[in-house]
Amino acid sequence: MTDASGSSAARQDAPSRSAPTADIARLNDLLQRVAHKDRDAFALLYATTSAKLFGTVLRILSNKGLQNHRGLAEDIVQEAYVNIWQKAAQFDARKASPITWLVTIARHGAIDYLRRQPASQPEGDDVLNQTASSDPGAQAHLEHQQDAQRLYQCLDELERDRREMVRLAYLDGWSRADLATQFNQPVNTIKTWLHRALKQLKGCLSS
Amino acid sequence: MNEHDDLDMLAAEFVLGTLDSRERALVEQRRQQEPELEALIELWQQRLAPLGDEVQDIVPGPGLLARIEQRIETLENGTQQPTTSTREEDNRVVALHKRLRFWQWSTGLTSAAALVLVGVLLAQILQPSTPQSFVAVFQQNDQQPAFMLTVDLESRQLQVQAVTAEPLSGQSYQLWIKEPSLGPKPHSVGVLTDDMRLQSTALQEYDPDLLRNATFGISVEPEGGSPTGQPTGPAIHGYLYSTADEDGQHSL
Repeated sequence: MTDASGSSAARQDAPSRSAPTADIARLNDLLQRVAHKDRDAFALLYATTSAKLFGTVLRILSNKGLQNHRGLAEDIVQEAYVNIWQKAAQFDARKASPITWLVTIARHGAIDYLRRQPASQPEGDDVLNQTASSDPGAQAHLEHQQDAQRLYQCLDELERDRREMVRLAYLDGWSRADLATQFNQPVNTIKTWLHRALKQLKGCLSS
Repeated sequence: MNEHDDLDMLAAEFVLGTLDSRERALVEQRRQQEPELEALIELWQQRLAPLGDEVQDIVPGPGLLARIEQRIETLENGTQQPTTSTREEDNRVVALHKRLRFWQWSTGLTSAAALVLVGVLLAQILQPSTPQSFVAVFQQNDQQPAFMLTVDLESRQLQVQAVTAEPLSGQSYQLWIKEPSLGPKPHSVGVLTDDMRLQSTALQEYDPDLLRNATFGISVEPEGGSPTGQPTGPAIHGYLYSTADEDGQHSL
């Protein structure tokens, strides 16, 4: 059981995760002002972060056979920013980095949307290739970021299929059923594999 | 596998996104009351968040900030519940009922100047072949359709067709749109020309999702349109009209 010890360390590390310190300080400041219903700060926050949120949501909705998925993505990002406006006061800089907090709201909006749709099969092979081939460049770009590097190292320790499953789920919004079809396994097996992969990842990250 | 492991895997899969709709709703509910689950979720968010760094930034459409601000404006003024593009079909009919009644109430105190009053509802037509096409029927005095409004959400083109309505000497028909994010009052879409038409691009500035949730109305106004910027006549009735099947007409 590593949670109790892992917990506080991870929390302290969180704010330094994904962006230079100055950006984090600026986003923290903007969020604080948004919590006080500062509309100029909100517009600035939007200008700084909307491409990230939109890119995240668009990727999750892509290749799902949705009509006008760009329009849907805008709707979801719209709801996300309304949520951000309403919940900014709940943001706790000690617990999460601001960009993670913002992206999480948008990601959950997109995944909630997908899960409410009748099951439709993602266009498998293309996505798989696209996901796989996007690795190297992105990784090079992230080399200076310790947390990211560590996560990628730990992902590399997973079996290839399990690593792909984690990536397809997190980045492309694939459900267990989607993964079951793609990897030609029963849903329960997928669940077991996912749990093993996640536990292995957690163990590696806390070592 | 103990209880804590189960909870941790629930948190992990919630963050990963692989839970189904029902499980996700349950976790959303439980995390409010269970600090342990909430803490586990936060930890998984931190663990997996670096993956998101490789997602390519994509700039959304130029009008999105304005739409967001408008939506916030509406919510802050406490006018209506937010609507979402993912509303269940059953709720949609109820919501249309509500919007219709809202429209009736808000225009129900009428000025005597109004001659013909037209109620309206925009119906979402669930038609697999043309899912972006919507039709509203405007009925006059509970008798016959007076106008039909067709909206193509994809292109945001509208077409108004007079069915039994006749041009009125010295007066004009005016089309209105009402939707929570636009505020509590109807907005003018445009005044119909003498040959009972309206520019097909009159709805161009509205977002398709907004149009899908909107209520439309036609009122009779002094020539050239309402002098007040608001309908001066009430809307009486609205009927949903579905082209999807012959029995698709829902009387409200």
